[in-house]
Amino acid sequence: MRPPEFKILNPKEKKEVENKLKLQFGIDHISGTVLQRGAERLFLFRGELDYNHIKEIEDNVPVERIGIYFAKHAHDSIRLSIEGVQALKDQITKNIIELNEEDSKTWMYGEEVQIETGKKCYVVIKHKDYFLGCGKASEKKISNFIPKSRRLRNKNIIK
Amino acid sequence: MRKEKKIPEPNPLFLERMQEIFNSEKDYKEYLEILKHKPSKSIRCNTLKVSPEKLKKKLESYGWKLVQPWEEYPEVMVIDCELEPGELGRSLEHLLGYYYIQELASMLPIIALKPKENDVILDLCAAPGSKTTQAAAEAKNTGLIIANELSMGRIKILASNLERCGVTNTIITKKEGAALSKRFKKQNLKFDKILVDAPCSGEGTLRSKYKTHGMWNIKTIMSLPRIQKSLFLESFKILKVGGEIIYSTCTHAPEENESVVSAILNELGDRIKIEKIKIPVTTRKGLTKWKNDEYNKGVELACRVYPQDNDTDGFFLSKFTKLK
Repeated sequence: MRPPEFKILNPKEKKEVENKLKLQFGIDHISGTVLQRGAERLFLFRGELDYNHIKEIEDNVPVERIGIYFAKHAHDSIRLSIEGVQALKDQITKNIIELNEEDSKTWMYGEEVQIETGKKCYVVIKHKDYFLGCGKASEKKISNFIPKSRRLRNKNIIK
Repeated sequence: MRKEKKIPEPNPLFLERMQEIFNSEKDYKEYLEILKHKPSKSIRCNTLKVSPEKLKKKLESYGWKLVQPWEEYPEVMVIDCELEPGELGRSLEHLLGYYYIQELASMLPIIALKPKENDVILDLCAAPGSKTTQAAAEAKNTGLIIANELSMGRIKILASNLERCGVTNTIITKKEGAALSKRFKKQNLKFDKILVDAPCSGEGTLRSKYKTHGMWNIKTIMSLPRIQKSLFLESFKILKVGGEIIYSTCTHAPEENESVVSAILNELGDRIKIEKIKIPVTTRKGLTKWKNDEYNKGVELACRVYPQDNDTDGFFLSKFTKLK
């Protein structure tokens, strides 16, 4: 069965995503085209191809991916992917949690980080100048969404 | 320092053909000797995310020794020390997409193609994505890249690599290459640059992938040129006039290399020009004669990359401009 087609967000829909990202992380603007596949997954495409040409390609050829998966709708919020965080890192000013070396290892290992942040929302994880993705902070922990393929298998690697 | 490994016995017919290709006992002996060693491990810094200087400094802090072998391409680095198995792919920097593990010879087609900002590029046989990510980095994530691949399993790897490297200017399509070009021709979609890194018998990768020894088969070599030629000729139709196209393989077989290039030159006549290629490795001229066949003299401008000349895998490259 073919996966659902990509839907290009219109300016109003894109603005809604931007507004949420502004509120959550201080991100002002997403440069490029934002597309949605299925109910949740958002993709960021910065190639030079307009709406009509993208549709024309999709109508003629099986398209498997447009740009990169960068975020998903999560209830009333937006959860950034690890690549979404990296793509927008220069604009992220809010809800950044800077982890120490030990916790950042735990994080990249794919585990929850047991710290109190005083926040109950999605947060961007940082260690030194590395942006390490997005997690959900609750009372005493940060839940981890790092996909398996991007996890460390050896905690001794971060130095 | 290279580790010697016990390698499978090469097919006698393969060896006979290689001896004939080299036509030099010295070359042949050096080739057989280097086949016993794995090539040095190499990486390409993903300049979309980090500068070569910063990456090198970070990786050196792990105790790794890195050499930048090509002055003009500081993003290319060779690992000049022993690492644990799999260590290169497990570092934080790799997981964050700061570098791509790529054999040196495999970097050459994009170096020859020279993508620039705002180019519209077609990578016809794109998986696993080493050359697509390299092209995206050269083009600074601008313009457009269509990365095509037929196999769904390989598309998943391609998508994962593009994502890890933060490549946002690319659309992945799934179609047989020649058929894709026909569709794009109908749509009047034209490209500034095209890479036809064609499916091949893979003789050049014997050092990296010992399993290639067991898969070597003369029937495969005889059956591939038809597909390779078709991939090139159909994609040439959607290249802009003045646009550039690379035909490359990772094999030494003249049937898949010079024979294809010669047929292309003969068929396209004054519509195409084969170009001299500038790449940072020692190369040999394309063969103008093989077995009973004489090829178009233009094939001399194609480049053969031999493992014993550069401590790389073997490769074949040719570059063309569309004149009309």
